[in-house]
Amino acid sequence: MTATAEQFTTTMGEASQAGDVVLDVDDLSIAFPTEEGLVRAVSNLTYQARLGRTLAIVGESGSGKSVSSMAVLGLHNPKRTQITGSIKLDGQELVGASQATFQKLRSTTAAMVFQDPQSSLHPFHKVGRQIAEAYRAHHSVSKAVAQKRAVEMLDLVGIPTPARRALQFPHEFSGGMRQRAMIALGLVNDPKLLIADEPTTALDVTVQAQILDLINDMQKEFGSAVILITHDLAVVAETADDILVMYAGRGVEKGDAKEVLSQPSHPYTHGLLQSIPSASDDATAELKAIRGAPPSLLNLPSGCSFHPRCDFQKLVGAACIDTLPEWRPTPGLTGRELRCHLEDPVATLQNDEGAK
Amino acid sequence: MSDQPLLKVTDLVRHFPFKEVQGLRMMKATVQAVDGLSFSLGHGQTLGLVGESGCGKSTTARLLTRLDEPTSGKIEFQGRDITHLKESELRGIRRDVQMIFQDPYSSLNPRHTVGSILTTPLKVHGLHQGKEKARVQELLELVGLNPEHINRYPSEFSGGQRQRIGIARALAVEPKLIIADEPVSALDVSIQAQVMNLLGRLRNELDLAFIFVAHDLGVVRHFCDQVAVMYLGKIVEYGDKRQIYDLPEHPYTQALLSAAPDIAVARGAQRAERIRLVGDVPSPISPPSGCRFRTRCWKAQDICAEQEPPLVPSTATDAGRGGREKGLHLQACHFPEVKPALVPEIVSA
Repeated sequence: MTATAEQFTTTMGEASQAGDVVLDVDDLSIAFPTEEGLVRAVSNLTYQARLGRTLAIVGESGSGKSVSSMAVLGLHNPKRTQITGSIKLDGQELVGASQATFQKLRSTTAAMVFQDPQSSLHPFHKVGRQIAEAYRAHHSVSKAVAQKRAVEMLDLVGIPTPARRALQFPHEFSGGMRQRAMIALGLVNDPKLLIADEPTTALDVTVQAQILDLINDMQKEFGSAVILITHDLAVVAETADDILVMYAGRGVEKGDAKEVLSQPSHPYTHGLLQSIPSASDDATAELKAIRGAPPSLLNLPSGCSFHPRCDFQKLVGAACIDTLPEWRPTPGLTGRELRCHLEDPVATLQNDEGAK
Repeated sequence: MSDQPLLKVTDLVRHFPFKEVQGLRMMKATVQAVDGLSFSLGHGQTLGLVGESGCGKSTTARLLTRLDEPTSGKIEFQGRDITHLKESELRGIRRDVQMIFQDPYSSLNPRHTVGSILTTPLKVHGLHQGKEKARVQELLELVGLNPEHINRYPSEFSGGQRQRIGIARALAVEPKLIIADEPVSALDVSIQAQVMNLLGRLRNELDLAFIFVAHDLGVVRHFCDQVAVMYLGKIVEYGDKRQIYDLPEHPYTQALLSAAPDIAVARGAQRAERIRLVGDVPSPISPPSGCRFRTRCWKAQDICAEQEPPLVPSTATDAGRGGREKGLHLQACHFPEVKPALVPEIVSA
C-alpha cells in the first residue's frame, strides 16, 4: 500500500512541499445572467489552498461555495457565465483559459469528488475501467498497466478484493464503496489539489466517518491540498485545518478552523455555531436561531449582505447598510481575517454569549 | 384513561414482498423493512427514532400514520386497535395523528395556494365551518408566517417558510400526535434552529406528542425525551435520552454516537474513544442471522449468529450514577457493556 503511495509522491512536482500555495483565488466574481436579472453567485472571493492542508469552505445553500470551486475546474459554461478576477492553479491563470488548458489540468493538477457518487460514476462502464481511462488520458501506458494501476488505487482507498471489484459496475457497489471509488478516481493522477464537494452528505453517519478518515489518510499519503466544501460545521470541526466561511457569495471570515469555530469573530459564524444543538448537551432551552433567511442572489442587500439578519448591526449603525466591509485582520487575534464593521468583534460576541 | 398510553405498538412488522430475477427464474424475496417493533408513547411525550438509512425509521412513521398497512403486529391509538382499519374508518385517526414531511418542496401541492392547502383538512373534517379563513390566518400566525400571505403559492416561499406551512397543515385539525419524518434535515443550518424552536414551542403550547424521526443525533437529544435506536428494522436500544447518550450499552449505539461529527468539538470538547465500524449496513432483503449487527460488530461471537438477542431491560440501570436514570432502558445485545463518554465532552483542565 505504501509503496504505491511513494511512487506517486515522487512523480509529484519537483520542489513542491507542504505549505506551498497550490490554488490562489483572488477577487473572484462569478455571475449568471438570467431572464430575471444577474445572479451574483460569487462576489470578490479571495482565498488560498496549501499543500498538505485541508481548507473547509463552509456556507449554506446559495452561498457560492460550490460555484466557486467548479470554476477552478472550468466546469461552467463560458457562454452563460461571467467570471472576473483571478484563479491561479499551480501558477497558471485559469480565468479565461481554454478548454484544452482545463483538460490538461483536470485530474493531474486538480480533481473533484462530488456529493452523489451514484450519479458521478458512469453506470455503463466497469469501475476499474473508469479509473484506468482517467489514468490513460494523462499517461501513455497500455491498458493492462492502467488497469493494474486502477486496482492498486482501489486497494489504496480500502476496497476489499480490489481486483474483483474493479471488474464490477457502479451499481454493484454500496454508497460508501462508490464514494471510495470516486476518491480513487480523483487521486489516480496524483493531483496537487483535491476538491471534495459535500463528499459525505449523501452517506450514513458511520460511513461518513470512514470516508472523512480516508480523505485525511489520503491527504497524508499524497501530500495534496484538499478543499472540503460542506454545510456541516461539525464535520469541519473534526477534519479541517483552515476554514473560509461564506455568506451570500462572499467570504466573511477565515483562519485556522479550530480557532474560528471555538472563537468566531463574525456575527454570522457566531450565530451559526450557537444555533446547532450538540449530542453531548442536555439543554432543551430554545436554540439561539439566526432570524430571517439568506438573501436572494438576484438582489443582494446593500453594504454587508448579512446586515438584515445581524443582531449587532445596531451597534455599528449606518456603515453596515452603506458600505461593504473589506477584509481586515481580526483585532486581537493572529492569523485571522474577517469582513465586518464591528470595532471589537471578539469581545462583542463573547459578551453576547455570556448574556445568553 | 390517564394510565393508558396514547400510542402502543406491539410487534410491528412490515415486509415488502417483491420478485427478483435470478438467472431465468423469478424468485420471491422480501425487504424486511420493519421487523418486530414494540414501544409505547404517553400524552405529550416525544420519542426520537434514530438510525441509518434502511433501518426502517421512515417505514415506521408511515405505518403509525397508517399511510401504509403493517404485515403483522398491532398499533393501538388511545386504546383502539387501528392496525387494519379501512380508509373510511381511519378518518377519525387522521384527525388525531398528523405528519410533517422531510421535503418542504415536494410535500406541498404547487398549484394550490397556502389558503387552499390549509383549508382542505378543515373542510374534510368539518371543522370551523364558515370561519375557515379566520382559522387559516390564525394558523399562519401560529407558525410565524404573515396571515396576509394566504393567497400565495408555495413557490413564493423559502424552504423554511414552506416547512412552516407543512407544520400549519398538520396543526390545522388539532392533532394529539405528530409524526415528524426528518422535519429539519432538508433545511439550511441557520433555518433549522428556527423550525426546531417553533416545534418546541408548539409542543408546549398545544401539549402535543411527537414521534421524531431524524438522523442528526444533536437535534434528537435537543428535542426528544425518549430515544429508540434502530438497526435494520429492529430497535437495538431504547431509553431516556440521558441513558442513550451518556450510558449507551449496545455496540451499535456506541458506534453511532462515536461516528457522528459533533459541534461540541468546535467548543474544545474531546472524545474519550473513537469507534470506527467497517463496511456498510447490510441489505434488509437478507439480513444477517441472529443479531443483525453482528457483521459489523467488534464483539461478535458464535452465539450472535445463532441466537437473536431479545430487547431486554438493561442490567446497568441505576448503577453507580446516583439514580439519575429513571424509566425503561432496554437493549438487545448478548454482551451489553456500558461505555460512557462517546460523545465529545469538555475536559476541564
